[in-house]
Amino acid sequence: MTDQYDIVIIGCGVIGSSIAYHLSEYKQKRILVIDKGFPLSGTSGSTQAWVWVHNKVPSWYGELSMYSAELYPFLERKIGDVEYKRTGGIAPFFAQTDWDKALRLAEEQAEVGIKVEVLTRDQVLEKEPALSPKIAGATYSDMDGNVNPFRLVELYIKAAKRNEVEFSFYNPVTEMVMEKDHYKIYTKNKKDAITTERVILAGGPWSKEIGELLGLDIPVKQVRGQVIITEPLAPFLKHTIGGMRQAENGEVLIGFSKEEVGYDRRTTMDVIQETAQMAINYIPSLAKANIVRSFSGVRVIPEDGFPILGKIPDKKNAYIAAMHSGVTLSPLVGTLMAELVMVGETSICLKRYSLKRFMNYA
Amino acid sequence: MKTDVLIIGGGPAGLNAAIETASRGIKTIIIEESYALGGQLKQQTQFFNNLPKQFDRQRGIHLMRTLIDRLSPLPITCLLKHKMIGVYKDGRIGIANDTETFPIDAKKVIVTTGAAEETDLFPGWTLPGVMTVGAAQILINRERVLPGKNALIVGLNSFSAEVAKQLKACGINILGVMDKTVSVNDKKLVEGLEDKKIRVMVNTVIERATGAGEVKKVTINNDGKKEDLDIDLICIGKGLAPILEPLEILDCEFGFQAKLGGLVPKYYSTLGTSNPSVYVAGNAAGITCLGGILLTAEIAALNALKALGVLNDNEVKVRSSFLWDELRSMESEESIETFIARVAHIKEFHEECELPLPASFHAILEGC
Ligand SMILES: Cc1cc2nc3c(=O)[nH]c(=O)nc-3n(C[C@H](O)[C@H](O)[C@H](O)COP(=O)(O)OP(=O)(O)OC[C@H]3O[C@@H](n4cnc5c(N)ncnc54)[C@H](O)[C@@H]3O)c2cc1C
Repeated sequence: MTDQYDIVIIGCGVIGSSIAYHLSEYKQKRILVIDKGFPLSGTSGSTQAWVWVHNKVPSWYGELSMYSAELYPFLERKIGDVEYKRTGGIAPFFAQTDWDKALRLAEEQAEVGIKVEVLTRDQVLEKEPALSPKIAGATYSDMDGNVNPFRLVELYIKAAKRNEVEFSFYNPVTEMVMEKDHYKIYTKNKKDAITTERVILAGGPWSKEIGELLGLDIPVKQVRGQVIITEPLAPFLKHTIGGMRQAENGEVLIGFSKEEVGYDRRTTMDVIQETAQMAINYIPSLAKANIVRSFSGVRVIPEDGFPILGKIPDKKNAYIAAMHSGVTLSPLVGTLMAELVMVGETSICLKRYSLKRFMNYA
Repeated sequence: MKTDVLIIGGGPAGLNAAIETASRGIKTIIIEESYALGGQLKQQTQFFNNLPKQFDRQRGIHLMRTLIDRLSPLPITCLLKHKMIGVYKDGRIGIANDTETFPIDAKKVIVTTGAAEETDLFPGWTLPGVMTVGAAQILINRERVLPGKNALIVGLNSFSAEVAKQLKACGINILGVMDKTVSVNDKKLVEGLEDKKIRVMVNTVIERATGAGEVKKVTINNDGKKEDLDIDLICIGKGLAPILEPLEILDCEFGFQAKLGGLVPKYYSTLGTSNPSVYVAGNAAGITCLGGILLTAEIAALNALKALGVLNDNEVKVRSSFLWDELRSMESEESIETFIARVAHIKEFHEECELPLPASFHAILEGC
């Protein structure tokens, strides 16, 4: 590790590591990625990891998710097998009154080219016989799938290393000073500052704290999600279901709870039991499955729910990428951020996602 | 279910804590995941000479009976084959057995979950016939099954040395007890093993274990010299680490103390943790000897009783200082380092919380 870089990325989850890899494809810059823990110690190591498109609304947000999902097969050809599976996604609903909503969703998403089908109960059960006959119907799209986030981050890092990106783990960034044409970055393990022309904040749920180092108030919430996991079961779920998926090794990952409890990664019995009940409502046969463990992760959710992406207004050469659904968006966000930094323009307009939208209120 | 005191883990620490609280008429529930109380005492046939004054010197299994006999006339609920599996948002403890899950509302919780054995990884470590020394001890003393005929013991410490002798007494051929390094403190252990004609191999590591379906051969490396041994049993004794999951979900803070087994919950001289309703004792509070296990349980229970308003300050003060003295002499007998680490651990937490140590503790500090 030297002291001088062109680009320093703070945070090595699915977002930071993707940006690093995509930047490294240009093979022009000296790049360093710093993480306070190990690469999956944040949210990217405690996620459901659906690559989920079909009910992301409004449609412009769905569109972003779709483009990212489209990039996954291409990404795999470049960095290796990340166990991306385009399983198709089913989001069941129980009330007849949800039909209208489902039809509206299909219409809205069609405008941007996302194909969403509204399935009757019989059609759903034909696709996924394990689902409860109590459901009224479901929305379905063959765009949806899931990925192994552990392999994803590992392979991003390996590929980036081949392109000479450097990494520094277990090394929290503690201070940042903006000087005339560069940033000085201080970390716990290094007495002297690291100098860099550009800095990219990819700190996930710690975005607020990292933003504060630059005197910024990043408007994100920390939202805990608890997930329960069954013993390995013989493969019986073909699709990614809005609520659960069966992993390659047979375990079913269940849950999507949301609680604002700060950075507290414990699990609670209340949510575990609610989640188990939800699972049985969806898939009655799961009542017989043993739950072997649970985990929780902390989502970073921007105040308005949509990604914060792009240049940081009023801070020269500083960028940010903070979002929920970062697994879905990872390949696209990496591509666009690399374009932004290297070319100055992006192939998809990022104006809507700028941090600036929150600053107008001030 | 409601209770004053909930004890998690029915080994020697849990039993001794329960005797203390239940004999004061305090409503006490023990939950124990196994089919019976007693914890590791269930298979400890060895003699324990170094026990607190109130116990005669006796074998582990006899001590287990002594504890259970003292407990049985007391009004106490034992939930066998029940596990703590979580905590509700309001702090109630989630308990499950095979058929149901329910909350227990406890004013005070004493965590006495004990320790788990550390393992060692080498190619072939998953073969049947490779097990921990604790597992081998359960097989011979509890299940009455010989785990093998020719054994190699990996790791030298008082527990692995004890099990090596017990296995030998059962007629198992012990090819040796091996370790990377042996410190001067282990001299007594080495002599004890050599007395029993058990070979001690220092500077030795396992390169690999092989065998089809079960372990048959092991390649060891003694300072660069490789040797193949025909064995059908490898017992790993790499020491113990506290079992911490219940303390994690109870939101207790942790600190690192190598001599107490690594990560241990932070606690005060009361054995209270950073969660005001949670106490910790036994090996869960740092790996120690049986005497230490029993005494920490008594200290924790006393302080829980004080916090519940059952005992007055003075009574607790007098008994605590007596118990701490006894704990010091007991732990010093086995390894003074444990006691020093424990006291340092406590002092650190008091300093962090800016909470003065009780006066009686200063004498102990000076002794260290
Ligand atoms: C239960 C749950 C389920 C989810 N399901 C899905 C899903 O199905 N599909 C989907 O797309 N998304 C899902 N998400 C969201 C997704 O996991 C996140 O959006 C994504 O992981 C965020 O990645 P990240 O790289 O931004 O953050 P992180 O992975 O948290 O990475 C941030 C990194 O920054 C580092 N860091 C923080 N502070 C500092 C510092 N001062 N110095 C140095 N480094 C620092 C951290 O150590 C961390 O490694 C889910 C989230 C949860 C919690």
